[in-house]
Amino acid sequence: MPEDLNQKISQFLDNELDPVHALNLLKEMQLQSELPDKMHRYEAISHAMKTDFFILTKSDFSKKIHKQIQQEPIYLLPQHKPIKRRHKVIALAASIAIVAVIAERSMNHQTEQLQAASTLIAAQHQTYKPVVYPHQAEQRPLNTRINEYLQAHNSSVYTNGEANFQPFARVTTYSQK
Amino acid sequence: MTVLNRFFVVLLFSIGRVLADEAEVNGLHVLMKMTHAMEVLNYQGTVAFLRNGKLEPMKYVHAAKKGVEQERLSSLNSPMREIIRDSNRVSCLYKDTQQIVIDHRPFERSFLVDIPRKLDNLGAIYQFEIVGEEDVAMLPSYVVAIQAKDNFRYSRKIWIEKRQFLPLKVVIYDRTGESLEQVVFTEIEVKDALPFVDINFSETAPQVQHIRQQRSQSSAQAPFVVTNIPQGFREIFFTRRPMHKTGQLVDHLLLSDGFASVSVYMENKNGVMKSGLQTAGAVNSSSRTIGDSQITVMGEVPAETVNYIAEGIKLKGLKD
Repeated sequence: MPEDLNQKISQFLDNELDPVHALNLLKEMQLQSELPDKMHRYEAISHAMKTDFFILTKSDFSKKIHKQIQQEPIYLLPQHKPIKRRHKVIALAASIAIVAVIAERSMNHQTEQLQAASTLIAAQHQTYKPVVYPHQAEQRPLNTRINEYLQAHNSSVYTNGEANFQPFARVTTYSQK
Repeated sequence: MTVLNRFFVVLLFSIGRVLADEAEVNGLHVLMKMTHAMEVLNYQGTVAFLRNGKLEPMKYVHAAKKGVEQERLSSLNSPMREIIRDSNRVSCLYKDTQQIVIDHRPFERSFLVDIPRKLDNLGAIYQFEIVGEEDVAMLPSYVVAIQAKDNFRYSRKIWIEKRQFLPLKVVIYDRTGESLEQVVFTEIEVKDALPFVDINFSETAPQVQHIRQQRSQSSAQAPFVVTNIPQGFREIFFTRRPMHKTGQLVDHLLLSDGFASVSVYMENKNGVMKSGLQTAGAVNSSSRTIGDSQITVMGEVPAETVNYIAEGIKLKGLKD
Protein backbone atom coordinates (compact mmCIF):
# COMPACT_ATOMS: atom_id res chain seq x y z
CA MET A 1 0.00 0.00 0.00
CA PRO A 2 2.74 2.51 0.79
CA GLU A 3 4.36 1.70 -2.54
CA ASP A 4 1.04 2.22 -4.21
CA LEU A 5 0.61 5.61 -2.46
CA ASN A 6 4.12 6.65 -3.39
CA GLN A 7 3.38 5.85 -7.03
CA LYS A 8 0.13 7.77 -6.91
CA ILE A 9 1.88 10.81 -5.39
CA SER A 10 4.44 10.68 -8.16
CA GLN A 11 1.71 10.41 -10.80
CA PHE A 12 -0.18 13.28 -9.14
CA LEU A 13 2.87 15.52 -9.31
CA ASP A 14 3.39 14.58 -12.96
CA ASN A 15 -0.28 15.31 -13.63
CA GLU A 16 -0.77 11.67 -14.73
CA LEU A 17 -3.33 10.63 -12.10
CA ASP A 18 -7.00 10.61 -13.08
CA PRO A 19 -9.35 12.88 -11.08
CA VAL A 20 -11.02 10.09 -9.16
CA HIS A 21 -7.72 8.67 -7.90
CA ALA A 22 -6.36 12.19 -7.31
CA LEU A 23 -9.35 13.04 -5.11
CA ASN A 24 -8.88 9.83 -3.18
CA LEU A 25 -5.20 10.61 -2.74
CA LEU A 26 -5.94 14.10 -1.33
CA LYS A 27 -8.45 12.56 1.10
CA GLU A 28 -5.83 10.05 2.17
CA MET A 29 -3.30 12.86 2.65
CA GLN A 30 -5.67 14.59 5.04
CA LEU A 31 -5.85 11.41 7.11
CA GLN A 32 -2.14 10.57 7.09
CA SER A 33 -0.03 13.50 8.23
CA GLU A 34 3.26 12.12 6.83
CA LEU A 35 1.90 12.00 3.25
CA PRO A 36 1.95 15.79 2.61
CA ASP A 37 5.60 15.84 3.70
CA LYS A 38 6.35 12.99 1.38
CA MET A 39 4.62 14.77 -1.50
CA HIS A 40 6.66 17.87 -0.73
CA ARG A 41 9.89 15.84 -0.93
CA TYR A 42 8.87 14.25 -4.18
CA GLU A 43 7.96 17.64 -5.58
CA ALA A 44 11.37 19.03 -4.60
CA ILE A 45 13.21 16.12 -6.22
CA SER A 46 11.13 16.44 -9.35
CA HIS A 47 11.71 20.19 -9.55
CA ALA A 48 15.47 19.73 -9.09
CA MET A 49 15.64 17.10 -11.80
CA LYS A 50 13.67 19.20 -14.28
CA THR A 51 15.46 22.56 -13.75
CA ASP A 52 18.91 23.78 -12.74
CA PHE A 53 17.43 25.98 -10.04
CA PHE A 54 15.86 24.78 -6.88
CA ILE A 55 13.88 26.92 -4.46
CA LEU A 56 13.31 25.26 -1.18
CA THR A 57 9.91 26.08 0.20
CA LYS A 58 8.98 25.20 3.70
CA SER A 59 6.34 22.57 4.19
CA ASP A 60 4.13 24.90 6.14
CA PHE A 61 4.25 27.64 3.48
CA SER A 62 0.65 27.25 2.41
CA LYS A 63 -0.51 26.95 5.98
CA LYS A 64 1.10 30.23 6.89
CA ILE A 65 -0.59 31.96 3.98
CA HIS A 66 -3.89 30.48 5.02
CA LYS A 67 -3.30 31.67 8.57
CA GLN A 68 -2.43 35.19 7.39
CA ILE A 69 -5.62 35.34 5.34
CA GLN A 70 -7.62 34.31 8.36
CA GLN A 71 -6.02 37.12 10.38
CA GLU A 72 -6.84 39.81 7.78
CA PRO A 73 -9.15 42.47 9.32
CA ILE A 74 -12.70 42.73 8.14
CA TYR A 75 -13.71 46.22 7.02
CA LEU A 76 -17.15 47.14 8.24
CA LEU A 77 -17.29 50.51 6.42
CA PRO A 78 -19.67 50.69 3.45
CA GLN A 79 -17.94 49.54 0.32
CA HIS A 80 -17.98 51.42 -2.95
CA LYS A 81 -20.51 50.27 -5.36
CA PRO A 82 -19.02 48.17 -8.06
CA ILE A 83 -18.31 50.19 -11.19
CA LYS A 84 -20.79 49.54 -13.90
CA ARG A 85 -19.63 48.40 -17.27
CA ARG A 86 -20.96 51.59 -18.88
CA HIS A 87 -18.88 53.70 -16.54
CA LYS A 88 -15.81 51.63 -17.31
CA VAL A 89 -16.28 52.30 -21.01
CA ILE A 90 -16.70 56.03 -20.44
CA ALA A 91 -13.61 56.14 -18.19
CA LEU A 92 -11.61 54.24 -20.77
CA ALA A 93 -12.73 56.63 -23.55
CA ALA A 94 -11.86 59.68 -21.42
CA SER A 95 -8.44 58.25 -20.60
CA ILE A 96 -7.71 57.62 -24.26
CA ALA A 97 -8.81 61.18 -25.11
CA ILE A 98 -6.53 62.69 -22.41
CA VAL A 99 -3.60 60.58 -23.57
CA ALA A 100 -4.25 61.71 -27.15
CA VAL A 101 -4.32 65.41 -26.16
CA ILE A 102 -1.14 65.14 -24.08
CA ALA A 103 0.61 63.28 -26.84
CA GLU A 104 -0.42 65.89 -29.42
CA ARG A 105 0.75 68.78 -27.22
CA SER A 106 3.99 67.04 -26.54
CA MET A 107 4.56 66.59 -30.25
CA ASN A 108 3.63 70.26 -30.92
CA HIS A 109 5.97 71.43 -28.17
CA GLN A 110 8.78 69.42 -29.69
CA THR A 111 7.97 70.96 -33.07
CA GLU A 112 7.95 74.47 -31.56
CA GLN A 113 11.28 73.82 -29.88
CA LEU A 114 12.69 72.71 -33.16
CA GLN A 115 11.22 75.79 -34.88
CA ALA A 116 12.55 78.07 -32.10
CA ALA A 117 15.96 76.50 -32.41
CA SER A 118 15.95 76.95 -36.15
CA THR A 119 14.70 80.56 -35.74
CA LEU A 120 17.47 81.24 -33.25
CA ILE A 121 20.04 79.83 -35.62
CA ALA A 122 18.57 81.92 -38.43
CA ALA A 123 18.51 85.04 -36.23
CA GLN A 124 22.16 84.55 -35.35
CA HIS A 125 22.96 84.78 -39.01
CA GLN A 126 20.80 87.84 -39.62
CA THR A 127 21.32 91.48 -38.70
CA TYR A 128 19.24 92.82 -35.82
CA LYS A 129 16.01 94.51 -36.80
CA PRO A 130 13.95 96.20 -34.05
CA VAL A 131 10.32 95.24 -33.72
CA VAL A 132 8.12 97.95 -35.19
CA TYR A 133 4.44 97.96 -34.39
CA PRO A 134 2.10 99.33 -37.03
CA HIS A 135 1.20 102.54 -35.17
CA GLN A 136 4.87 103.12 -34.32
CA ALA A 137 5.86 102.72 -37.92
CA GLU A 138 3.12 105.12 -38.86
CA GLN A 139 4.37 107.66 -36.28
CA ARG A 140 8.09 107.25 -37.00
CA PRO A 141 8.69 109.85 -39.76
CA LEU A 142 6.46 112.30 -37.90
CA ASN A 143 8.25 111.65 -34.61
CA THR A 144 11.64 112.03 -36.29
CA ARG A 145 10.58 115.40 -37.66
CA ILE A 146 9.10 116.57 -34.35
CA ASN A 147 12.17 115.37 -32.45
CA GLU A 148 14.34 117.46 -34.75
CA TYR A 149 12.17 120.39 -33.76
CA LEU A 150 12.50 119.38 -30.10
CA GLN A 151 16.29 119.25 -30.42
CA ALA A 152 16.24 122.77 -31.83
CA HIS A 153 13.83 123.85 -29.09
CA ASN A 154 15.72 122.68 -25.98
CA SER A 155 18.39 120.20 -24.87
CA SER A 156 16.04 117.62 -23.31
CA VAL A 157 16.80 115.28 -26.22
CA TYR A 158 20.33 114.83 -24.86
CA THR A 159 19.21 113.94 -21.34
CA ASN A 160 16.15 111.82 -22.10
CA GLY A 161 16.62 110.73 -25.69
CA GLU A 162 14.02 111.18 -28.38
CA ALA A 163 10.49 111.82 -27.14
CA ASN A 164 7.69 109.59 -28.34
CA PHE A 165 5.10 112.09 -29.47
CA GLN A 166 1.54 110.82 -29.59
CA PRO A 167 -1.63 112.39 -30.93
CA PHE A 168 -2.99 114.58 -28.16
CA ALA A 169 -6.53 113.16 -28.43
CA ARG A 170 -5.27 109.62 -27.81
CA VAL A 171 -3.25 110.64 -24.76
CA THR A 172 -6.02 112.71 -23.21
CA THR A 173 -8.45 109.84 -23.74
CA TYR A 174 -6.11 107.54 -21.83
CA SER A 175 -5.63 110.16 -19.11
CA GLN A 176 -9.32 110.59 -18.36
CA LYS A 177 -10.22 109.53 -14.84
CA MET B 1 -19.65 147.08 14.08
CA THR B 2 -17.92 149.34 16.51
CA VAL B 3 -14.89 151.42 15.68
CA LEU B 4 -12.74 149.11 17.80
CA ASN B 5 -13.92 146.03 15.89
CA ARG B 6 -13.22 147.74 12.57
CA PHE B 7 -9.74 148.60 13.79
CA PHE B 8 -9.00 144.97 14.65
CA VAL B 9 -10.36 143.70 11.31
CA VAL B 10 -8.16 146.17 9.40
CA LEU B 11 -5.19 145.25 11.60
CA LEU B 12 -5.62 141.51 10.99
CA PHE B 13 -6.08 142.06 7.25
CA SER B 14 -2.92 144.17 7.13
CA ILE B 15 -0.93 141.55 9.07
CA GLY B 16 -2.18 138.86 6.67
CA ARG B 17 -1.13 140.88 3.63
CA VAL B 18 2.26 141.63 5.13
CA LEU B 19 2.84 137.93 5.90
CA ALA B 20 1.73 136.95 2.39
CA ASP B 21 4.06 139.53 0.85
CA GLU B 22 6.83 138.31 3.15
CA ALA B 23 6.37 134.71 1.91
CA GLU B 24 6.39 135.90 -1.71
CA VAL B 25 9.46 138.05 -1.16
CA ASN B 26 11.19 135.13 0.52
CA GLY B 27 10.26 132.85 -2.36
CA LEU B 28 11.78 135.30 -4.83
CA HIS B 29 14.76 135.80 -2.55
CA VAL B 30 15.45 132.06 -2.31
CA LEU B 31 15.11 131.65 -6.09
CA MET B 32 17.59 134.46 -6.71
CA LYS B 33 20.02 132.92 -4.23
CA MET B 34 19.60 129.61 -6.04
CA THR B 35 20.41 131.19 -9.42
CA HIS B 36 23.60 132.65 -7.97
CA ALA B 37 24.59 129.38 -6.21
CA MET B 38 24.08 127.38 -9.40
CA GLU B 39 26.53 129.63 -11.22
CA VAL B 40 29.36 129.96 -8.70
CA LEU B 41 29.49 126.69 -6.75
CA ASN B 42 31.33 123.47 -7.62
CA TYR B 43 29.01 120.55 -7.02
CA GLN B 44 28.42 117.00 -8.20
CA GLY B 45 25.98 114.18 -7.60
CA THR B 46 23.49 111.80 -9.13
CA VAL B 47 20.45 113.30 -10.76
CA ALA B 48 17.41 111.59 -12.23
CA PHE B 49 15.42 113.03 -15.11
CA LEU B 50 11.85 111.77 -15.37
CA ARG B 51 10.28 112.84 -18.64
CA ASN B 52 7.73 111.23 -20.94
CA GLY B 53 7.48 108.25 -18.60
CA LYS B 54 11.22 107.58 -18.93
CA LEU B 55 13.61 107.68 -15.98
CA GLU B 56 17.16 108.69 -16.85
CA PRO B 57 19.60 108.68 -13.94
CA MET B 58 22.88 110.51 -14.62
CA LYS B 59 26.06 111.60 -12.91
CA TYR B 60 26.16 115.38 -12.76
CA VAL B 61 29.15 117.69 -12.35
CA HIS B 62 29.17 121.49 -12.26
CA ALA B 63 32.57 123.18 -12.27
CA ALA B 64 32.94 126.94 -11.87
CA LYS B 65 36.01 129.12 -11.81
CA LYS B 66 36.35 132.87 -12.32
CA GLY B 67 32.97 133.23 -13.96
CA VAL B 68 33.49 130.29 -16.33
CA GLU B 69 31.17 127.30 -15.94
CA GLN B 70 31.09 123.75 -17.23
CA GLU B 71 28.23 121.28 -16.79
CA ARG B 72 28.72 117.56 -17.40
CA LEU B 73 26.25 114.70 -17.46
CA SER B 74 27.20 111.03 -17.81
CA SER B 75 24.46 108.49 -18.41
CA LEU B 76 24.31 105.47 -16.14
CA ASN B 77 22.16 103.43 -18.52
CA SER B 78 22.25 102.77 -22.25
CA PRO B 79 22.62 104.53 -24.58
CA MET B 80 25.85 105.49 -22.85
CA ARG B 81 26.69 109.12 -23.49
CA GLU B 82 28.41 112.12 -22.02
CA ILE B 83 26.95 115.59 -22.38
CA ILE B 84 29.01 118.69 -21.74
CA ARG B 85 27.83 122.27 -21.67
CA ASP B 86 30.57 124.85 -22.15
CA SER B 87 29.14 128.38 -22.14
CA ASN B 88 27.03 128.41 -25.32
CA ARG B 89 27.93 124.96 -26.62
CA VAL B 90 26.43 121.56 -25.78
CA SER B 91 28.47 118.53 -26.89
CA CYS B 92 27.05 115.03 -26.70
CA LEU B 93 29.27 111.97 -27.20
CA TYR B 94 27.40 108.72 -27.78
CA LYS B 95 29.94 106.17 -26.54
CA ASP B 96 28.47 103.12 -28.31
CA THR B 97 28.57 104.64 -31.78
CA GLN B 98 31.26 107.27 -31.14
CA GLN B 99 28.86 109.75 -32.72
CA ILE B 100 29.39 113.32 -31.53
CA VAL B 101 26.78 116.05 -31.68
CA ILE B 102 27.90 119.62 -31.17
CA ASP B 103 24.98 121.94 -30.59
CA HIS B 104 25.21 125.69 -30.15
CA ARG B 105 22.66 126.87 -27.59
CA PRO B 106 23.28 130.44 -26.46
CA PHE B 107 19.86 130.82 -24.85
CA GLU B 108 20.13 128.08 -22.18
CA ARG B 109 22.24 127.94 -19.05
CA SER B 110 21.51 124.67 -17.21
CA PHE B 111 20.40 121.08 -17.71
CA LEU B 112 18.68 121.17 -14.33
CA VAL B 113 16.45 124.23 -14.46
CA ASP B 114 16.57 127.47 -16.40
CA ILE B 115 15.65 130.43 -14.24
CA PRO B 116 15.52 133.96 -15.64
CA ARG B 117 18.08 136.29 -14.10
CA LYS B 118 15.41 138.91 -13.42
CA LEU B 119 12.44 137.52 -11.56
CA ASP B 120 10.83 140.64 -10.17
CA ASN B 121 9.11 141.54 -13.43
CA LEU B 122 7.36 138.13 -13.64
CA GLY B 123 4.88 138.94 -10.88
CA ALA B 124 2.07 139.44 -13.40
CA ILE B 125 2.20 135.84 -14.62
CA TYR B 126 3.73 133.85 -11.75
CA GLN B 127 3.40 133.87 -7.99
CA PHE B 128 6.51 132.86 -6.04
CA GLU B 129 5.97 131.45 -2.61
CA ILE B 130 7.66 129.21 -0.07
CA VAL B 131 5.02 126.56 0.58
CA GLY B 132 6.92 124.25 2.89
CA GLU B 133 10.13 122.64 3.98
CA GLU B 134 11.05 119.06 3.10
CA ASP B 135 14.11 116.84 2.89
CA VAL B 136 15.43 115.79 -0.51
CA ALA B 137 18.47 113.54 -0.82
CA MET B 138 18.58 113.70 3.00
CA LEU B 139 19.08 117.47 2.87
CA PRO B 140 16.62 119.97 4.36
CA SER B 141 15.20 122.25 1.69
CA TYR B 142 12.67 125.01 1.03
CA VAL B 143 9.79 124.14 -1.25
CA VAL B 144 9.27 127.13 -3.53
CA ALA B 145 6.10 127.15 -5.62
CA ILE B 146 6.13 129.03 -8.91
CA GLN B 147 2.41 129.23 -9.43
CA ALA B 148 1.11 130.23 -12.86
CA LYS B 149 -1.53 132.94 -12.65
CA ASP B 150 -3.28 131.89 -15.88
CA ASN B 151 -3.83 128.73 -17.90
CA PHE B 152 -1.26 129.50 -20.59
CA ARG B 153 1.62 127.94 -18.66
CA TYR B 154 2.44 125.22 -16.17
CA SER B 155 3.17 125.69 -12.48
CA ARG B 156 6.40 124.45 -10.94
CA LYS B 157 7.90 123.63 -7.59
CA ILE B 158 11.59 123.76 -6.76
CA TRP B 159 13.11 122.18 -3.67
CA ILE B 160 16.09 124.38 -2.73
CA GLU B 161 18.69 123.20 -0.23
CA LYS B 162 18.67 125.48 2.81
CA ARG B 163 22.40 125.97 3.35
CA GLN B 164 23.92 126.20 -0.13
CA PHE B 165 20.71 127.12 -2.01
CA LEU B 166 21.20 124.53 -4.74
CA PRO B 167 18.16 123.05 -6.48
CA LEU B 168 17.58 119.47 -5.35
CA LYS B 169 14.31 118.79 -7.12
CA VAL B 170 12.22 120.45 -9.84
CA VAL B 171 8.71 119.36 -10.74
CA ILE B 172 6.41 120.68 -13.47
CA TYR B 173 2.67 120.27 -12.85
CA ASP B 174 -0.28 120.44 -15.17
CA ARG B 175 -3.40 122.38 -14.25
CA THR B 176 -4.87 119.45 -12.33
CA GLY B 177 -1.75 119.18 -10.19
CA GLU B 178 -0.44 116.06 -11.91
CA SER B 179 3.34 115.84 -12.19
CA LEU B 180 4.52 116.08 -15.82
CA GLU B 181 8.28 116.19 -15.46
CA GLN B 182 10.78 115.82 -12.64
CA VAL B 183 14.45 116.42 -12.12
CA VAL B 184 15.68 115.19 -8.73
CA PHE B 185 19.05 114.69 -7.08
CA THR B 186 19.50 111.44 -5.17
CA GLU B 187 22.81 112.63 -3.73
CA ILE B 188 24.80 115.83 -4.08
CA GLU B 189 28.01 117.24 -2.62
CA VAL B 190 29.61 120.66 -2.84
CA LYS B 191 33.36 120.83 -3.42
CA ASP B 192 35.88 123.63 -3.18
CA ALA B 193 36.93 122.97 -6.76
CA LEU B 194 36.14 120.52 -9.54
CA PRO B 195 38.20 119.99 -12.68
CA PHE B 196 37.12 121.23 -16.09
CA VAL B 197 37.20 118.66 -18.86
CA ASP B 198 38.90 119.80 -22.03
CA ILE B 199 37.01 118.59 -25.07
CA ASN B 200 38.55 118.98 -28.46
CA PHE B 201 36.54 117.06 -30.99
CA SER B 202 37.84 117.25 -34.47
CA GLU B 203 35.08 119.24 -36.09
CA THR B 204 35.87 117.75 -39.48
CA ALA B 205 35.63 114.13 -38.31
CA PRO B 206 32.89 112.24 -40.18
CA GLN B 207 31.10 111.17 -36.99
CA VAL B 208 30.69 114.76 -35.77
CA GLN B 209 27.27 116.26 -36.37
CA HIS B 210 27.40 120.01 -36.09
CA ILE B 211 24.19 121.82 -35.23
CA ARG B 212 25.21 125.41 -35.61
CA GLN B 213 22.76 127.96 -34.35
CA GLN B 214 22.70 130.72 -36.91
CA ARG B 215 23.19 134.23 -35.71
CA SER B 216 19.95 135.59 -34.39
CA GLN B 217 18.16 137.75 -36.87
CA SER B 218 15.43 140.28 -36.44
CA SER B 219 12.01 138.70 -36.28
CA ALA B 220 10.99 141.39 -38.81
CA GLN B 221 12.62 139.08 -41.36
CA ALA B 222 10.28 136.25 -40.44
CA PRO B 223 7.76 135.44 -43.18
CA PHE B 224 5.02 135.17 -40.55
CA VAL B 225 3.53 137.18 -37.74
CA VAL B 226 2.45 135.77 -34.37
CA THR B 227 -0.68 137.64 -33.38
CA ASN B 228 -1.69 135.47 -30.41
CA ILE B 229 1.11 135.82 -27.90
CA PRO B 230 0.07 135.01 -24.31
CA GLN B 231 0.89 137.59 -21.66
CA GLY B 232 4.49 137.48 -20.49
CA PHE B 233 5.92 135.74 -23.56
CA ARG B 234 8.46 137.66 -25.60
CA GLU B 235 10.65 136.93 -28.60
CA ILE B 236 14.07 135.49 -27.68
CA PHE B 237 15.49 134.98 -31.16
CA PHE B 238 14.63 134.29 -34.76
CA THR B 239 16.75 132.33 -37.20
CA ARG B 240 16.49 130.54 -40.51
CA ARG B 241 18.57 127.39 -40.72
CA PRO B 242 18.80 124.07 -42.56
CA MET B 243 17.15 121.16 -40.82
CA HIS B 244 16.25 117.55 -41.46
CA LYS B 245 18.31 115.24 -43.63
CA THR B 246 17.43 117.22 -46.71
CA GLY B 247 18.84 120.42 -45.26
CA GLN B 248 15.54 122.13 -45.87
CA LEU B 249 15.47 125.71 -44.61
CA VAL B 250 13.23 126.17 -41.61
CA ASP B 251 12.28 129.45 -39.92
CA HIS B 252 12.52 129.23 -36.15
CA LEU B 253 11.16 131.81 -33.71
CA LEU B 254 11.67 131.23 -29.97
CA LEU B 255 9.34 132.80 -27.42
CA SER B 256 9.75 132.60 -23.64
CA ASP B 257 8.08 133.85 -20.48
CA GLY B 258 11.24 133.21 -18.44
CA PHE B 259 10.37 129.67 -17.33
CA ALA B 260 8.45 128.21 -20.27
CA SER B 261 9.53 128.53 -23.90
CA VAL B 262 7.65 128.06 -27.16
CA SER B 263 9.17 127.55 -30.62
CA VAL B 264 7.41 128.44 -33.84
CA TYR B 265 8.68 126.59 -36.93
CA MET B 266 7.72 127.28 -40.52
CA GLU B 267 8.79 125.25 -43.55
CA ASN B 268 7.40 124.28 -46.92
CA LYS B 269 4.32 122.08 -46.78
CA ASN B 270 5.19 118.38 -46.77
CA GLY B 271 3.45 115.08 -46.34
CA VAL B 272 5.25 114.15 -43.15
CA MET B 273 3.88 116.72 -40.77
CA LYS B 274 0.24 116.26 -39.95
CA SER B 275 -2.05 118.99 -38.79
CA GLY B 276 -3.19 118.72 -35.20
CA LEU B 277 -1.88 118.32 -31.70
CA GLN B 278 0.91 116.01 -30.62
CA THR B 279 2.09 115.55 -27.05
CA ALA B 280 5.01 114.02 -25.13
CA GLY B 281 4.87 114.69 -21.40
CA ALA B 282 5.05 118.41 -20.72
CA VAL B 283 5.86 119.24 -24.36
CA ASN B 284 2.98 119.87 -26.74
CA SER B 285 3.08 120.68 -30.40
CA SER B 286 0.43 121.95 -32.77
CA SER B 287 0.76 121.90 -36.57
CA ARG B 288 -1.32 123.56 -39.25
CA THR B 289 -1.01 124.39 -42.90
CA ILE B 290 -1.26 127.92 -44.21
CA GLY B 291 -1.03 128.17 -47.98
CA ASP B 292 2.07 126.26 -49.01
CA SER B 293 3.62 126.49 -45.57
CA GLN B 294 3.61 124.13 -42.63
CA ILE B 295 3.50 125.85 -39.24
CA THR B 296 4.40 123.96 -36.06
CA VAL B 297 4.25 125.47 -32.58
CA MET B 298 6.03 123.49 -29.86
CA GLY B 299 6.79 124.13 -26.21
CA GLU B 300 6.59 122.96 -22.61
CA VAL B 301 3.21 124.64 -22.20
CA PRO B 302 -0.36 123.29 -22.18
CA ALA B 303 -1.88 122.09 -25.44
CA GLU B 304 -4.31 125.01 -25.41
CA THR B 305 -1.39 127.43 -25.48
CA VAL B 306 0.35 125.95 -28.54
CA ASN B 307 -3.04 125.78 -30.26
CA TYR B 308 -3.78 129.40 -29.37
CA ILE B 309 -0.42 130.58 -30.69
CA ALA B 310 -0.70 128.45 -33.86
CA GLU B 311 -4.15 129.78 -34.66
CA GLY B 312 -2.86 133.34 -34.44
CA ILE B 313 -0.04 132.93 -36.96
CA LYS B 314 -0.45 134.79 -40.22
CA LEU B 315 1.79 134.75 -43.24
CA LYS B 316 3.06 138.12 -44.34
CA GLY B 317 1.68 139.11 -47.71
CA LEU B 318 -1.06 136.51 -47.57
CA LYS B 319 -4.54 137.95 -47.42
CA ASP B 320 -7.08 136.23 -45.17
